[in-house]
Amino acid sequence: MSNKELRQVAIYGKGGIGKSTTTQNLTAGLVELGKSVMVVGCDPKADSTRLLLGGLAQKTVLDTLREEGEDIELDNILKEGFGGTKCVESGGPEPGVGCAGRGIITSIGLLERLGAYTEDLDYVFYDVLGDVVCGGFAMPIREGKAKEIYIVASGEMMALYAANNISKGIARYASKGGVRLGGIICNSRNVDREHELLRAFAEELGTQLIYFVPRDNVVQRAEIRKKTVIDFQSESHQADEYRRLAAAIENNKKFVIPKPMTQERLEEILVEYGLFDNFKDDYRI
Amino acid sequence: MAERNLKVTGGNNTIVHPHYACAIGGAYSAVAIKGGVPIANCGPGCMYKQYFFMGFENGFQGSTGAGGGNVPSANVGESDIVFGGMKKLDDLIKATLAIYDADLFVVATGCTGELVGDDVGSVVKKYREAGYPVVYADTGGFKGSNLIGHEIVVKAIIDQFVGDYDGKRQKGLVNLWFETPYFNTNWRGDYIEIVRILRAIGFKVNVLFGPQSEGVSEWRDIPKAQFNLIISPWAGIEIVRHLEKKYNQPYLHIPVIPIGEEATSAFIRELVKYAEIDEEESEKFIKEEAELYYYFLDSFSHFFAEYWYGLPSRFAVVGDSAYTLAYTKFLADQVGLIPVKQIITDNPPEQFREEIREEFRKLSEGVSVEIEFMEDGYLAEKALAETDFGSGVPLILGSTWESDVAREKNALLLEIDPPSSETVVLNRSHIGYRGALQLLERIYTATVGSK
Repeated sequence: MSNKELRQVAIYGKGGIGKSTTTQNLTAGLVELGKSVMVVGCDPKADSTRLLLGGLAQKTVLDTLREEGEDIELDNILKEGFGGTKCVESGGPEPGVGCAGRGIITSIGLLERLGAYTEDLDYVFYDVLGDVVCGGFAMPIREGKAKEIYIVASGEMMALYAANNISKGIARYASKGGVRLGGIICNSRNVDREHELLRAFAEELGTQLIYFVPRDNVVQRAEIRKKTVIDFQSESHQADEYRRLAAAIENNKKFVIPKPMTQERLEEILVEYGLFDNFKDDYRI
Repeated sequence: MAERNLKVTGGNNTIVHPHYACAIGGAYSAVAIKGGVPIANCGPGCMYKQYFFMGFENGFQGSTGAGGGNVPSANVGESDIVFGGMKKLDDLIKATLAIYDADLFVVATGCTGELVGDDVGSVVKKYREAGYPVVYADTGGFKGSNLIGHEIVVKAIIDQFVGDYDGKRQKGLVNLWFETPYFNTNWRGDYIEIVRILRAIGFKVNVLFGPQSEGVSEWRDIPKAQFNLIISPWAGIEIVRHLEKKYNQPYLHIPVIPIGEEATSAFIRELVKYAEIDEEESEKFIKEEAELYYYFLDSFSHFFAEYWYGLPSRFAVVGDSAYTLAYTKFLADQVGLIPVKQIITDNPPEQFREEIREEFRKLSEGVSVEIEFMEDGYLAEKALAETDFGSGVPLILGSTWESDVAREKNALLLEIDPPSSETVVLNRSHIGYRGALQLLERIYTATVGSK
């Protein structure tokens, strides 16, 4: 199949929600399905490919540019990881200096120039830091790059606030291009009625809860060993969860322009699903 | 469609024909200081554009050695944005200090460095602590025009070079804040005329900019002056307010640049009264100047009364606040021409607009005009095209942008503001006693058939 279509996917979500962990575990699942995947870390912390590469083995694009100048080869910045995945870290300037957003733009531009987007690829994942803080971090979804977006969230309030905000950004770019929201991935925090809340939240946004990843400490144990769960404990229950997430994404057909909600509506949903209802006592006078 | 959009958004869209340069154009105020060298911390081409607008295609004024197209520039590129441009700026300052023997260096940072948040102050501080006279000014284009940039640069020099002062004031010493160097096409000639007047009536003047300034020693003396004299509708007021706060130094604000005997003599009397200096000297000077002025005006009246062909009666001015106000007032009040369209192009901050409008409402007894604020020469051109100049020859004072519409209307066009690409200006002045006569010569030379 030489005419297969490359799916470029951007993963967004609140900082610390587990975007990088989810992306890499999901990538491992896709690799098992025989897919060819490239992961582009778009975070100055440069930890988006650690589990696939078995450590922070990668020199970032921006570090390479800084030290070696413009004249660099693809091999300098692209390393092969678990199951033949191609791994790139954009990196960033030193904290407090320069413009990290522009750094992302520079990196992706360089990847294109160096021919990183080969025809054999099935997926490119952009793992983007926290919120879309400026235009630079929206780069993967601008100019027709990533057309497919998943937001990682949990039942915690701030995660949903962030997801709603990110949806505003997506809606903006969707109006002039082909970018669409593919769904919400719940990375469970074991919050009360999390599953129902996330489903209701996704529905209100006009999208779907594409997969609910339960919480399991094997993920943390695998991380300590710098591995994905599939790599670390292939037979575990959690490895199957990531396989099912990979399959859900592979078979996903529902791509929408999200309908971000007002602050009031978001809070209504949170109340409805019990986030603010956990008081054991009534202190009213 | 575009016009409909303009109405919806209040007209703040793209500018087709600019009438001012960027804030970083304020770097040329450093060039106007004797011994001053600007250091441009901006993208390649930024500084050259400022020069072309303010110094080249603006009467082809040229510049001194450190100005023109020779300003040291960091030529900020992509990697300076991503990784920060402080290292490159540091190298540039070092190289500039090695090459230029100057009294004052002004680092002007443009949009790029300002956007990524380069800590220019920390780079410059190092040199200042080592004894080099270097200051820095944050002049990103988004801060405003070159007029705002001029204020930013001057305030930076005051704060970082002149410094604190709590000594005595010197009576009769005045700081002159006047036209914006390079931007105001006639600034050099106008400074010479105003300084001539100030000195003749007994003031010692910190000229600060241009050929008659003594350079940085005058800047050091700024806090010693009795007061600040600001002759401008709005540009520069920020400077004198800053000085008032910093040194508790008062200022006298005169919005209209005086042109002609009546206005200039009134200006002198106001100034003398304010400064409480001896009137004898100034009255003697006024008498001498008035005699000369009216000697020539008498001769002019013979031409003015006898010449029947194509004398303009209605006129329009398109320009910055300072020149538009001064020229309109003189032509309406002293020559008797009728102002029909006065367009202000330098985008004065909102707080000054009503005062500027008021000045145009009292041009002369029974003569007033409602002005329009338009930054885009394209819109100004359209407004002129629709203006009714009556049956006489239309007179337009403006810029090269107005040359097409002037041709269409068979108008006389005098270039008075940037861009002025059909005039070479060295020591030219249209203000005070002597400049007024030059202005009359220029207008009526055009009238009788020659440029």
